[in-house]
Amino acid sequence: MATEFFSHLKCRECGRLYPKKAIHVCEFDFGPLEADYDYNLIRSQISRARIESRPQSMWRYRELLPIDGDPTVGLQVGFTPLVKARQLAQALGVKELYVKNDTVNYPTLSFKDRVVSVALSRARELGFKIVACASTGNLANSVAANAAASGLKSYVLIPADLEASKVLNSLVYGTNVIGIHGAYDQVNRLCSEIAGKYGWGFVNVNLRPYYAEGSKTMGYEIIEQLGWKIPAHTVVPMASGSLLTKICKSYQEAVRVGLVEESHFSIHGAQATGCNPIALAHKAGTDLIKPQPKPNTIAKSLAIGTPADGYYAVNVMRKTGGSAEDVSDAEIIEGIKLLAETEGIFAETAGGVTTACARKLIEAGKIPRDEPIVLCITGNGLKTAEAVQPHLPSPRLIKPSLREFDQLVAAELQGSPATV
Amino acid sequence: MAQEKQRFWLNFDSKGVTRPIIWEMSKKYDVVFNIRNSSVTEEVGIIGLEFEGERETIKAAVKWLESVGVRVEPVEINTIEG
Repeated sequence: MATEFFSHLKCRECGRLYPKKAIHVCEFDFGPLEADYDYNLIRSQISRARIESRPQSMWRYRELLPIDGDPTVGLQVGFTPLVKARQLAQALGVKELYVKNDTVNYPTLSFKDRVVSVALSRARELGFKIVACASTGNLANSVAANAAASGLKSYVLIPADLEASKVLNSLVYGTNVIGIHGAYDQVNRLCSEIAGKYGWGFVNVNLRPYYAEGSKTMGYEIIEQLGWKIPAHTVVPMASGSLLTKICKSYQEAVRVGLVEESHFSIHGAQATGCNPIALAHKAGTDLIKPQPKPNTIAKSLAIGTPADGYYAVNVMRKTGGSAEDVSDAEIIEGIKLLAETEGIFAETAGGVTTACARKLIEAGKIPRDEPIVLCITGNGLKTAEAVQPHLPSPRLIKPSLREFDQLVAAELQGSPATV
Repeated sequence: MAQEKQRFWLNFDSKGVTRPIIWEMSKKYDVVFNIRNSSVTEEVGIIGLEFEGERETIKAAVKWLESVGVRVEPVEINTIEG
């Protein structure tokens, strides 16, 4: 069986082809490079039965991922539950709703494990011994953990004022954490210079074309877990906008290689109002993204003021008939609580954004109530517990006395039907 | 001093769009610029630019651009992710 299905990198702007190296922008127009495949070859070798016979991980879609040989990093990543969310559906007044639950993705509880597994598998194929990233949270944790597990040395660059709890989740894996003093812009620029100067595999810079493709596995899994169907509506959180474009690409590819029947689908994007450059552009009917220099939201994992794939995300939403929405911090908290209370899923703030935006889109009639909807929930609530903590009640305290407990329960049951 | 090349996206707001800022910059600083991509509307302008020159001169040119209200980002844009 052939193992090389991934043929070259291709500029998303001008279509120029590039070799499969650690490069990420077109030399001519600075357009982003994207992995391209020999789809005819894939179509001849892939099938539902073959995929279903493989281990339950994201690598069961190996033919559609940008590596040459077998994967070597993150072999257990992915195939997270697609939960049929009956109670949340009832709360939102819709007929059929699912939650793609990447809060339990292995090993670091966010969808970033998907992208990092691909980036690091490719980094090894390209001969890198050191991998790096600049991140304020999930990406750093995932690079640190997956690099540790695969014997790669790693560097994580962070703004110097990042909260200690977030740094701990990277430090524990033995990675080299470097704090950089300065404003976001300065830190960003230094990171790009470091990526250019050192011969490291920078997962979201020179390995970006490989890294980004890992997101597609979330889409393939949704299709397979729905019984090989594309959902009519998918709601996706947007930071750079990359995940949204890759979910779309996964649906299109699944049709192209014969895994699923073609059907109409809409992809909707969710942002926080405190950092909503993509949603704003979509609402304004333009595809020019106005940078937001000072994001201000509790959804920090989505707070990218200059989203690299914003233009492409707007176009995907427009072409698929999707909508963009944004929500306030208070709505994000409500979204987190609603998902937790109805489905038992504790999502990070980005998950609150997705749930709350879905609610708004449904209420506005932009997502019809009688068509299947999937919410992409990308990270675990334990990672951003401090954002929710002030909005939860304190436990009620009693003395070690059965009488006090009886009184408490009696007060609780007053006015509701007897249950004992 | 060694010459080097650096690539940036320049973002202009509505005021910047009508001012010949790149021309002004080239008069002030000894950098070679090469426009690779651009998208300009009445409200916003985005230009992909390659600079060639001494590192310190490029740095000074970028600082000047920022001082006149242009947002300058490396082509990698968001190297810092969540």
